Amino acid sequence: MAIWLLLAQAGSVARAGRFEISGAAIWTGGYDAGGQPALETRNPSTGSSPLTLFTVDSRLVAAPGVEARLGLYLSRRLLVEGSLQFSRPVLRSHLAADFESAADTDAEATIASYTIAGSALYHFGRGRLRPFVKAGGGYVRELLEDNAAVVTGAEVHTGGGLRCALTKSAHPLWLRVDGAVSVREKAVAFDRKQKIVPQLAGGLSWRF
Amino acid sequence: MKRSLLTAAAVLVGLSAGGPALDAYLKLGTDEGGRLVNLRWNTFPVRYFIVNRDVPGVTAPQLQQAVDRAFATWAAVPNVPLSSQFVGFTSADPAGSVNANVIGFQARPELDRVLGATTFTVDTATGEILDSNIFLNSTFAWSVAAGGEAGRHDVESIALHEIGHLHGLGHSALGETELNAGGRRVIGAEAIMFPIAFSAGSLNRAPRADDIAGISDIYGNDRFRAATGSIAGRVTKNGAGILGAHIVAFNPASGKLVGGFTLSQDGTFVIAGLEPGPQILRAEPLDDGDAGSFLDASLNIDLDFRPAFYDRLVTVPRGGTSRSIELKVQPK
Repeated sequence: MAIWLLLAQAGSVARAGRFEISGAAIWTGGYDAGGQPALETRNPSTGSSPLTLFTVDSRLVAAPGVEARLGLYLSRRLLVEGSLQFSRPVLRSHLAADFESAADTDAEATIASYTIAGSALYHFGRGRLRPFVKAGGGYVRELLEDNAAVVTGAEVHTGGGLRCALTKSAHPLWLRVDGAVSVREKAVAFDRKQKIVPQLAGGLSWRF
Repeated sequence: MKRSLLTAAAVLVGLSAGGPALDAYLKLGTDEGGRLVNLRWNTFPVRYFIVNRDVPGVTAPQLQQAVDRAFATWAAVPNVPLSSQFVGFTSADPAGSVNANVIGFQARPELDRVLGATTFTVDTATGEILDSNIFLNSTFAWSVAAGGEAGRHDVESIALHEIGHLHGLGHSALGETELNAGGRRVIGAEAIMFPIAFSAGSLNRAPRADDIAGISDIYGNDRFRAATGSIAGRVTKNGAGILGAHIVAFNPASGKLVGGFTLSQDGTFVIAGLEPGPQILRAEPLDDGDAGSFLDASLNIDLDFRPAFYDRLVTVPRGGTSRSIELKVQPK
């Protein structure tokens, strides 16, 4: 308890009108990318179900990325910030069960994913360790290889995190970790289902 | 104008012993001084006659109605200008008429595995189709019943295939077959233009993605070309190109399969009319039928390789062509 109180007293309290910049390494989770098997119409004399030429099991693989943020304190507890994320996840299709015994293959394409978003963060406590919750929305733009196809769409996210003051000054440096869930109406996938994408971020923030 | 009478491969009830003597690509073509000229009509509507001859189960007017429906099915493909017009009944020979387009039944007992065939007179310099005839082999039992009829081949289904030829389409290799006592039997197919018909009693009256891509590649307007894209590349074995490989592009989002062939010794291919977005590519030898029913039988078609997938998803750009890819296959 004594340590906690010391940390709390060491924290710097933001005032309205102060800015904060931050950068982070992020991890974006993968998701089932849907898709259909390759089917041919069955000759009715040989069966009733479609003939499967091969199966396809597709997934967008989790990937690291980077994020930059610029925030403005509206009050001691409330921060609004804009962010830009970039990552290069891989869309991977596992091809199997080929009718003519082609070897199982993973076919891949690398995606360039950009997200521009706005969030509101509400902080608790006043000390050196300050948990927060956040929510916001943004716009996702994903380019397939060679920029030959583009998927764009809105996203909303919610989550929370914790910041820890590393320095004690009027312009403190914070260690900040975030966790969030992003819900995307459109994403690189072979289906049109809504995607729920977990995200983790860890980085540094500087208030000025 | 150089006129030439060509015979397109028929739709078969099984694999015939001899392949048809025609360059039968996805698009039919003729070689003009080393240059491949695709066959196509330059003027529409295609005006056609129906042979005034009844066969058991099908009258001439019923044949005309089925043929009309088949023409209408092709004409319903978006962004192509196809149209046709029934002129009248005739007693002309559907296999040998010149200066008219004649469609009808003809007894061809010597062609015991051929349900029907299409012939053309073309301007070999330009590829323009001047006239075309279709015969359906009355040696077989036929039906125009809406739901099909056991033991009888559906006129509309077979007419749809032959009218695909009439418009300039060659055979598709999007089908799987097996050998049985009578020859080769199709297990499944995903193209009206597959050269072997489904069993008697079956209906096959709807063009698939492969058929639509093919007809659109010949006649598609600017809107079609702006909305679709192509994949280009090579199929190689031990570093050398393969002639006659069948390439399939598959879109897992829509489930559409569209095929093409490597048409030169360096193994190059182009598959057009594809939906934009990531596609899966697969190569296989032309072993689901006589290779000559797809390509010129005199070509040195390589069948000695194992089916294989390309290990990248290929992104088809809207209105453009993908970067060139190389799909490597291994000998059997």
